[in-house]
Amino acid sequence: MAMAALRREGRRFAAPLISPQPIRSSLIAEEQAPLGVRSISTQVVRNRMKSVKNIQKITKAMKMVAASKLRAIQTRAENSRGLWQPFTALLGDAPSVDVKKNVIVTISSDKGLCGGINSTSVKISKAMHKLTAGPEKETKYVILGEKAKAQLIRDSKKDIELSITELQKNPLNYTQVSVLADDILKNVEYDALRIIFNKFHSVVSFLPTMSTVLSPEVVEREAESGGKLGDLDSYEIEGGETKGEILQNLAEFQFSCVLFNAVLENACSEQGARMSAMDSSSRNAGEMLDRLTLTYNRTRQASITTELIEIISGASALEG
Amino acid sequence: MASNAAVPFWRAAGMTYITYSNICANLVRNCLKEPYKTEALTREKVHFAVSKWVDSKPQKSTIRSDTEEE
Repeated sequence: MAMAALRREGRRFAAPLISPQPIRSSLIAEEQAPLGVRSISTQVVRNRMKSVKNIQKITKAMKMVAASKLRAIQTRAENSRGLWQPFTALLGDAPSVDVKKNVIVTISSDKGLCGGINSTSVKISKAMHKLTAGPEKETKYVILGEKAKAQLIRDSKKDIELSITELQKNPLNYTQVSVLADDILKNVEYDALRIIFNKFHSVVSFLPTMSTVLSPEVVEREAESGGKLGDLDSYEIEGGETKGEILQNLAEFQFSCVLFNAVLENACSEQGARMSAMDSSSRNAGEMLDRLTLTYNRTRQASITTELIEIISGASALEG
Repeated sequence: MASNAAVPFWRAAGMTYITYSNICANLVRNCLKEPYKTEALTREKVHFAVSKWVDSKPQKSTIRSDTEEE
Protein backbone atom coordinates (compact mmCIF):
# COMPACT_ATOMS: atom_id res chain seq x y z
CA MET A 1 0.00 0.00 0.00
CA ALA A 2 2.66 2.40 1.08
CA MET A 3 4.91 1.33 -1.77
CA ALA A 4 2.10 1.87 -4.24
CA ALA A 5 1.48 5.36 -2.89
CA LEU A 6 5.18 6.13 -3.03
CA ARG A 7 5.35 4.91 -6.60
CA ARG A 8 2.41 7.08 -7.54
CA GLU A 9 4.07 10.11 -5.95
CA GLY A 10 7.25 9.30 -7.83
CA ARG A 11 5.42 9.08 -11.08
CA ARG A 12 3.73 12.41 -10.49
CA PHE A 13 7.11 14.05 -9.96
CA ALA A 14 8.77 12.15 -12.73
CA ALA A 15 6.18 12.81 -15.41
CA PRO A 16 6.47 16.59 -15.71
CA LEU A 17 10.24 16.26 -15.56
CA ILE A 18 10.41 13.70 -18.32
CA SER A 19 8.13 15.25 -20.90
CA PRO A 20 9.82 18.58 -21.58
CA GLN A 21 13.30 17.00 -21.53
CA PRO A 22 13.13 14.89 -24.71
CA ILE A 23 11.42 17.65 -26.62
CA ARG A 24 13.96 20.17 -25.51
CA SER A 25 16.95 17.99 -26.24
CA SER A 26 15.72 16.92 -29.66
CA LEU A 27 14.85 20.48 -30.57
CA ILE A 28 18.15 21.81 -29.36
CA ALA A 29 19.96 19.23 -31.44
CA GLU A 30 18.30 20.57 -34.60
CA GLU A 31 17.50 24.05 -33.42
CA GLN A 32 17.56 26.67 -36.07
CA ALA A 33 16.98 29.74 -33.89
CA PRO A 34 20.06 31.94 -33.33
CA LEU A 35 22.32 31.13 -30.37
CA GLY A 36 21.49 32.80 -27.11
CA VAL A 37 17.72 32.62 -27.54
CA ARG A 38 16.32 30.84 -24.58
CA SER A 39 12.88 29.86 -25.82
CA ILE A 40 12.20 26.47 -27.33
CA SER A 41 11.93 26.72 -31.09
CA THR A 42 8.79 25.55 -32.86
CA GLN A 43 10.41 25.93 -36.25
CA VAL A 44 11.19 22.27 -36.72
CA VAL A 45 7.67 21.12 -35.97
CA ARG A 46 6.26 23.78 -38.22
CA ASN A 47 8.45 22.65 -41.13
CA ARG A 48 7.36 19.09 -40.67
CA MET A 49 3.73 20.12 -40.62
CA LYS A 50 4.13 22.02 -43.85
CA SER A 51 5.76 19.11 -45.66
CA VAL A 52 3.20 16.59 -44.40
CA LYS A 53 0.41 18.86 -45.57
CA ASN A 54 1.96 19.09 -49.03
CA ILE A 55 2.31 15.34 -49.23
CA GLN A 56 -1.31 14.95 -48.23
CA LYS A 57 -2.37 17.26 -51.06
CA ILE A 58 -0.32 15.27 -53.56
CA THR A 59 -1.71 11.92 -52.50
CA LYS A 60 -5.25 13.26 -52.63
CA ALA A 61 -4.64 14.47 -56.17
CA MET A 62 -3.17 11.12 -57.18
CA LYS A 63 -6.25 9.40 -55.83
CA MET A 64 -8.52 11.59 -57.98
CA VAL A 65 -6.42 10.92 -61.06
CA ALA A 66 -6.48 7.18 -60.44
CA ALA A 67 -10.25 7.27 -59.91
CA SER A 68 -10.84 9.01 -63.23
CA LYS A 69 -8.50 6.66 -65.11
CA LEU A 70 -10.24 3.71 -63.51
CA ARG A 71 -13.64 4.87 -64.71
CA ALA A 72 -12.34 5.19 -68.25
CA ILE A 73 -10.79 1.76 -68.39
CA GLN A 74 -13.31 -0.23 -66.41
CA THR A 75 -16.01 -0.38 -69.08
CA ARG A 76 -13.45 -1.50 -71.64
CA ALA A 77 -12.21 -4.28 -69.39
CA GLU A 78 -15.73 -5.55 -68.76
CA ASN A 79 -16.52 -5.48 -72.44
CA SER A 80 -13.37 -7.35 -73.29
CA ARG A 81 -14.44 -10.27 -71.14
CA GLY A 82 -16.73 -11.28 -73.95
CA LEU A 83 -13.72 -11.91 -76.15
CA TRP A 84 -12.39 -14.95 -74.42
CA GLN A 85 -15.55 -16.43 -72.99
CA PRO A 86 -16.44 -18.29 -76.20
CA PHE A 87 -12.96 -19.78 -76.16
CA THR A 88 -13.37 -21.10 -72.68
CA ALA A 89 -16.76 -22.45 -73.65
CA LEU A 90 -15.23 -24.23 -76.62
CA LEU A 91 -11.86 -25.34 -75.42
CA GLY A 92 -12.18 -25.27 -71.66
CA ASP A 93 -9.65 -23.81 -69.29
CA ALA A 94 -7.27 -26.45 -68.06
CA PRO A 95 -5.00 -25.17 -65.33
CA SER A 96 -3.96 -28.63 -64.32
CA VAL A 97 -2.68 -29.79 -67.67
CA ASP A 98 0.71 -31.37 -67.49
CA VAL A 99 3.08 -30.27 -70.21
CA LYS A 100 6.79 -30.17 -70.79
CA LYS A 101 7.29 -26.54 -71.68
CA ASN A 102 5.49 -23.97 -69.62
CA VAL A 103 5.75 -20.29 -70.22
CA ILE A 104 4.53 -18.02 -67.47
CA VAL A 105 3.42 -14.58 -68.65
CA THR A 106 3.42 -12.23 -65.70
CA ILE A 107 1.57 -8.97 -66.09
CA SER A 108 2.47 -6.06 -63.88
CA SER A 109 2.55 -2.29 -63.93
CA ASP A 110 5.30 0.03 -65.01
CA LYS A 111 4.64 2.64 -62.36
CA GLY A 112 4.72 2.19 -58.63
CA LEU A 113 2.66 3.41 -55.67
CA CYS A 114 -0.07 0.93 -56.46
CA GLY A 115 -0.26 -1.16 -53.35
CA GLY A 116 0.59 -4.85 -53.32
CA ILE A 117 -0.73 -6.09 -56.64
CA ASN A 118 2.63 -6.51 -58.32
CA SER A 119 4.00 -8.46 -55.38
CA THR A 120 1.03 -10.84 -55.43
CA SER A 121 1.47 -11.43 -59.15
CA VAL A 122 5.14 -12.21 -58.70
CA LYS A 123 4.41 -14.49 -55.74
CA ILE A 124 1.91 -16.50 -57.76
CA SER A 125 4.32 -16.66 -60.70
CA LYS A 126 7.04 -18.07 -58.51
CA ALA A 127 4.63 -20.59 -56.99
CA MET A 128 3.53 -21.63 -60.48
CA HIS A 129 7.15 -22.00 -61.45
CA LYS A 130 7.80 -24.31 -58.54
CA LEU A 131 4.63 -26.23 -59.24
CA THR A 132 5.46 -26.89 -62.85
CA ALA A 133 9.11 -27.63 -62.31
CA GLY A 134 10.26 -31.20 -62.54
CA PRO A 135 12.44 -33.58 -64.51
CA GLU A 136 12.43 -32.90 -68.25
CA LYS A 137 10.19 -29.91 -67.77
CA GLU A 138 11.17 -26.33 -68.20
CA THR A 139 9.40 -23.19 -67.22
CA LYS A 140 10.23 -19.76 -68.54
CA TYR A 141 9.02 -16.27 -67.75
CA VAL A 142 7.78 -13.56 -70.04
CA ILE A 143 7.47 -10.36 -68.08
CA LEU A 144 5.24 -7.42 -68.91
CA GLY A 145 5.96 -4.30 -66.88
CA GLU A 146 8.86 -2.92 -64.92
CA LYS A 147 7.78 -3.87 -61.43
CA ALA A 148 7.67 -7.61 -61.97
CA LYS A 149 10.96 -7.43 -63.83
CA ALA A 150 12.64 -5.77 -60.87
CA GLN A 151 11.34 -8.44 -58.51
CA LEU A 152 11.99 -11.46 -60.68
CA ILE A 153 15.50 -10.38 -61.63
CA ARG A 154 16.61 -11.04 -58.09
CA ASP A 155 16.27 -14.79 -58.04
CA SER A 156 14.97 -16.06 -61.37
CA LYS A 157 17.33 -14.35 -63.77
CA LYS A 158 18.13 -17.39 -65.82
CA ASP A 159 14.50 -18.27 -66.45
CA ILE A 160 13.47 -15.02 -68.06
CA GLU A 161 12.82 -15.25 -71.76
CA LEU A 162 11.42 -11.85 -72.72
CA SER A 163 10.69 -8.66 -70.91
CA ILE A 164 8.38 -5.96 -72.19
CA THR A 165 8.03 -2.43 -70.90
CA GLU A 166 6.45 0.89 -71.86
CA LEU A 167 3.21 -0.79 -72.67
CA GLN A 168 0.98 1.99 -71.39
CA LYS A 169 2.44 4.88 -73.33
CA ASN A 170 -0.62 4.94 -75.59
CA PRO A 171 -4.05 4.01 -74.34
CA LEU A 172 -4.40 0.25 -74.43
CA ASN A 173 -5.88 -1.14 -77.59
CA TYR A 174 -6.25 -4.56 -79.13
CA THR A 175 -3.79 -3.95 -81.94
CA GLN A 176 -0.97 -3.27 -79.54
CA VAL A 177 -1.64 -6.31 -77.44
CA SER A 178 -2.00 -8.52 -80.47
CA VAL A 179 1.34 -7.36 -81.87
CA LEU A 180 2.79 -8.17 -78.48
CA ALA A 181 1.16 -11.59 -78.49
CA ASP A 182 2.56 -12.17 -81.94
CA ASP A 183 6.05 -11.31 -80.72
CA ILE A 184 5.72 -13.70 -77.83
CA LEU A 185 4.45 -16.51 -80.02
CA LYS A 186 7.27 -16.06 -82.48
CA ASN A 187 10.05 -15.92 -79.92
CA VAL A 188 9.03 -18.48 -77.39
CA GLU A 189 8.51 -22.20 -77.66
CA TYR A 190 5.71 -23.37 -75.51
CA ASP A 191 3.32 -26.16 -74.82
CA ALA A 192 1.20 -24.16 -72.44
CA LEU A 193 1.07 -20.47 -71.72
CA ARG A 194 0.02 -19.41 -68.28
CA ILE A 195 -1.01 -15.80 -67.98
CA ILE A 196 -0.99 -14.37 -64.47
CA PHE A 197 -2.75 -11.11 -63.79
CA ASN A 198 -4.95 -9.40 -61.23
CA LYS A 199 -8.58 -9.75 -62.11
CA PHE A 200 -10.66 -6.73 -61.30
CA HIS A 201 -13.73 -7.62 -59.26
CA SER A 202 -14.43 -4.28 -57.65
CA VAL A 203 -12.63 -1.16 -56.57
CA VAL A 204 -11.38 -2.79 -53.41
CA SER A 205 -10.95 -6.39 -54.50
CA PHE A 206 -8.48 -7.64 -57.09
CA LEU A 207 -7.79 -11.32 -57.15
CA PRO A 208 -4.72 -12.78 -58.80
CA THR A 209 -5.87 -15.12 -61.54
CA MET A 210 -4.24 -17.48 -63.96
CA SER A 211 -5.46 -18.25 -67.46
CA THR A 212 -4.08 -21.12 -69.48
CA VAL A 213 -3.71 -21.20 -73.23
CA LEU A 214 -2.55 -24.46 -74.75
CA SER A 215 -0.61 -24.86 -77.91
CA PRO A 216 -2.41 -26.68 -80.75
CA GLU A 217 -0.38 -29.85 -80.36
CA VAL A 218 -1.32 -30.14 -76.72
CA VAL A 219 -4.94 -29.50 -77.60
CA GLU A 220 -4.82 -32.44 -79.98
CA ARG A 221 -3.30 -34.60 -77.31
CA GLU A 222 -5.87 -33.60 -74.74
CA ALA A 223 -8.66 -34.10 -77.25
CA GLU A 224 -7.72 -37.73 -77.51
CA SER A 225 -8.06 -38.17 -73.80
CA GLY A 226 -11.65 -37.00 -73.88
CA GLY A 227 -13.36 -34.35 -71.88
CA LYS A 228 -14.37 -31.02 -73.28
CA LEU A 229 -11.71 -31.04 -75.93
CA GLY A 230 -12.79 -34.45 -77.10
CA ASP A 231 -16.05 -32.95 -78.30
CA LEU A 232 -14.18 -30.88 -80.85
CA ASP A 233 -14.59 -33.62 -83.41
CA SER A 234 -18.32 -33.24 -83.30
CA TYR A 235 -17.98 -29.78 -84.88
CA GLU A 236 -18.18 -29.51 -88.63
CA ILE A 237 -15.37 -27.65 -90.30
CA GLU A 238 -16.18 -25.46 -93.26
CA GLY A 239 -13.82 -24.11 -95.81
CA GLY A 240 -10.79 -25.90 -97.04
CA GLU A 241 -8.89 -26.04 -93.77
CA THR A 242 -8.00 -29.00 -91.70
CA LYS A 243 -8.70 -29.39 -88.05
CA GLY A 244 -5.05 -28.88 -87.21
CA GLU A 245 -4.95 -25.59 -89.04
CA ILE A 246 -8.09 -24.35 -87.42
CA LEU A 247 -6.74 -25.30 -84.03
CA GLN A 248 -3.59 -23.35 -84.72
CA ASN A 249 -5.50 -20.25 -85.76
CA LEU A 250 -7.77 -20.62 -82.78
CA ALA A 251 -4.89 -21.04 -80.37
CA GLU A 252 -3.17 -17.90 -81.60
CA PHE A 253 -6.33 -15.88 -81.52
CA GLN A 254 -7.22 -17.24 -78.11
CA PHE A 255 -3.87 -16.18 -76.73
CA SER A 256 -4.27 -12.71 -78.17
CA CYS A 257 -7.78 -12.28 -76.73
CA VAL A 258 -6.90 -13.65 -73.33
CA LEU A 259 -3.82 -11.45 -73.17
CA PHE A 260 -5.87 -8.39 -74.12
CA ASN A 261 -8.38 -9.04 -71.39
CA ALA A 262 -5.63 -9.77 -68.89
CA VAL A 263 -3.79 -6.53 -69.66
CA LEU A 264 -6.98 -4.49 -69.33
CA GLU A 265 -8.01 -6.13 -66.08
CA ASN A 266 -4.56 -5.65 -64.64
CA ALA A 267 -4.62 -1.98 -65.59
CA CYS A 268 -7.99 -1.62 -63.82
CA SER A 269 -6.64 -3.36 -60.75
CA GLU A 270 -3.58 -1.13 -60.82
CA GLN A 271 -5.70 2.03 -60.81
CA GLY A 272 -7.99 0.66 -58.11
CA ALA A 273 -5.06 -0.36 -55.92
CA ARG A 274 -3.43 3.01 -56.44
CA MET A 275 -6.66 4.71 -55.40
CA SER A 276 -6.89 2.80 -52.15
CA ALA A 277 -3.16 3.16 -51.44
CA MET A 278 -3.29 6.92 -51.95
CA ASP A 279 -6.45 7.13 -49.88
CA SER A 280 -4.88 5.37 -46.92
CA SER A 281 -1.74 7.46 -47.22
CA SER A 282 -3.80 10.69 -47.18
CA ARG A 283 -5.52 9.41 -44.08
CA ASN A 284 -2.20 8.59 -42.43
CA ALA A 285 -0.89 12.01 -43.35
CA GLY A 286 -3.96 13.57 -41.75
CA GLU A 287 -3.37 11.62 -38.53
CA MET A 288 0.30 12.57 -38.55
CA LEU A 289 -0.72 16.20 -38.98
CA ASP A 290 -3.04 15.96 -35.94
CA ARG A 291 -0.28 14.53 -33.79
CA LEU A 292 2.19 17.17 -34.96
CA THR A 293 -0.32 19.93 -34.22
CA LEU A 294 -0.67 18.65 -30.66
CA THR A 295 3.12 18.57 -30.22
CA TYR A 296 3.38 22.05 -31.70
CA ASN A 297 0.81 23.47 -29.33
CA ARG A 298 2.40 21.76 -26.33
CA THR A 299 5.83 23.17 -27.22
CA ARG A 300 4.39 26.60 -27.82
CA GLN A 301 2.57 26.64 -24.49
CA ALA A 302 5.63 25.32 -22.65
CA SER A 303 7.79 28.10 -24.07
CA ILE A 304 5.20 30.73 -23.12
CA THR A 305 5.07 29.31 -19.59
CA THR A 306 8.86 29.38 -19.20
CA GLU A 307 8.97 32.98 -20.37
CA LEU A 308 6.27 33.94 -17.92
CA ILE A 309 8.09 32.16 -15.08
CA GLU A 310 11.31 33.94 -15.90
CA ILE A 311 9.63 37.32 -16.05
CA ILE A 312 7.74 36.81 -12.81
CA SER A 313 10.70 35.42 -10.92
CA GLY A 314 12.83 38.27 -12.23
CA ALA A 315 10.24 40.81 -11.11
CA SER A 316 9.91 39.23 -7.67
CA ALA A 317 13.72 39.14 -7.32
CA LEU A 318 13.80 42.88 -7.97
CA GLU A 319 11.17 43.59 -5.36
CA GLY A 320 12.48 41.21 -2.74
CA MET B 1 -10.03 -24.70 -103.39
CA ALA B 2 -7.20 -25.69 -101.13
CA SER B 3 -6.35 -29.28 -100.67
CA ASN B 4 -6.03 -30.70 -97.23
CA ALA B 5 -2.28 -30.39 -97.19
CA ALA B 6 -1.96 -26.84 -98.48
CA VAL B 7 -1.85 -23.95 -96.05
CA PRO B 8 -3.34 -20.53 -96.73
CA PHE B 9 -1.00 -18.12 -98.48
CA TRP B 10 -0.39 -16.04 -95.40
CA ARG B 11 0.61 -18.97 -93.27
CA ALA B 12 3.05 -20.04 -95.96
CA ALA B 13 4.52 -16.54 -95.94
CA GLY B 14 5.30 -16.82 -92.23
CA MET B 15 2.48 -14.73 -90.79
CA THR B 16 0.45 -15.83 -87.85
CA TYR B 17 -3.31 -15.61 -87.71
CA ILE B 18 -2.96 -12.59 -85.47
CA THR B 19 -0.99 -10.62 -88.04
CA TYR B 20 -3.47 -11.68 -90.72
CA SER B 21 -6.47 -10.49 -88.74
CA ASN B 22 -4.70 -7.23 -87.83
CA ILE B 23 -4.08 -6.47 -91.50
CA CYS B 24 -7.71 -7.24 -92.32
CA ALA B 25 -8.85 -4.98 -89.46
CA ASN B 26 -6.61 -2.21 -90.73
CA LEU B 27 -8.19 -2.52 -94.17
CA VAL B 28 -11.65 -2.31 -92.68
CA ARG B 29 -10.70 0.74 -90.62
CA ASN B 30 -9.38 2.47 -93.69
CA CYS B 31 -12.76 2.03 -95.34
CA LEU B 32 -14.45 4.31 -92.85
CA LYS B 33 -15.34 7.90 -93.58
CA GLU B 34 -14.05 10.87 -91.66
CA PRO B 35 -14.29 11.65 -88.73
CA TYR B 36 -14.75 8.02 -87.67
CA LYS B 37 -11.68 7.08 -89.61
CA THR B 38 -9.27 9.14 -87.55
CA GLU B 39 -10.95 7.92 -84.37
CA ALA B 40 -10.55 4.33 -85.43
CA LEU B 41 -6.98 4.79 -86.52
CA THR B 42 -6.04 6.15 -83.09
CA ARG B 43 -7.10 2.76 -81.77
CA GLU B 44 -4.34 1.19 -83.78
CA LYS B 45 -1.31 2.80 -82.28
CA VAL B 46 1.35 0.41 -81.08
CA HIS B 47 4.20 1.18 -78.75
CA PHE B 48 6.22 -1.06 -76.50
CA ALA B 49 9.81 -1.99 -75.83
CA VAL B 50 10.70 -5.66 -75.86
CA SER B 51 14.04 -7.13 -74.90
CA LYS B 52 15.08 -10.72 -75.25
CA TRP B 53 17.09 -12.28 -72.45
CA VAL B 54 20.08 -14.45 -73.24
CA ASP B 55 22.11 -16.09 -70.49
CA SER B 56 20.39 -14.07 -67.77
CA LYS B 57 21.25 -10.81 -69.47
CA PRO B 58 18.83 -8.55 -71.23
CA GLN B 59 19.76 -7.68 -74.75
CA LYS B 60 19.25 -4.22 -76.11
CA SER B 61 15.56 -3.62 -76.26
CA THR B 62 13.93 -3.10 -79.60
CA ILE B 63 11.16 -0.61 -79.61
CA ARG B 64 8.19 -1.54 -81.76
CA SER B 65 6.44 1.66 -82.32
CA ASP B 66 4.21 3.38 -84.80
CA THR B 67 4.99 6.77 -83.35
CA GLU B 68 8.06 8.59 -84.56
CA GLU B 69 11.02 8.57 -82.22
CA GLU B 70 11.93 12.10 -81.28
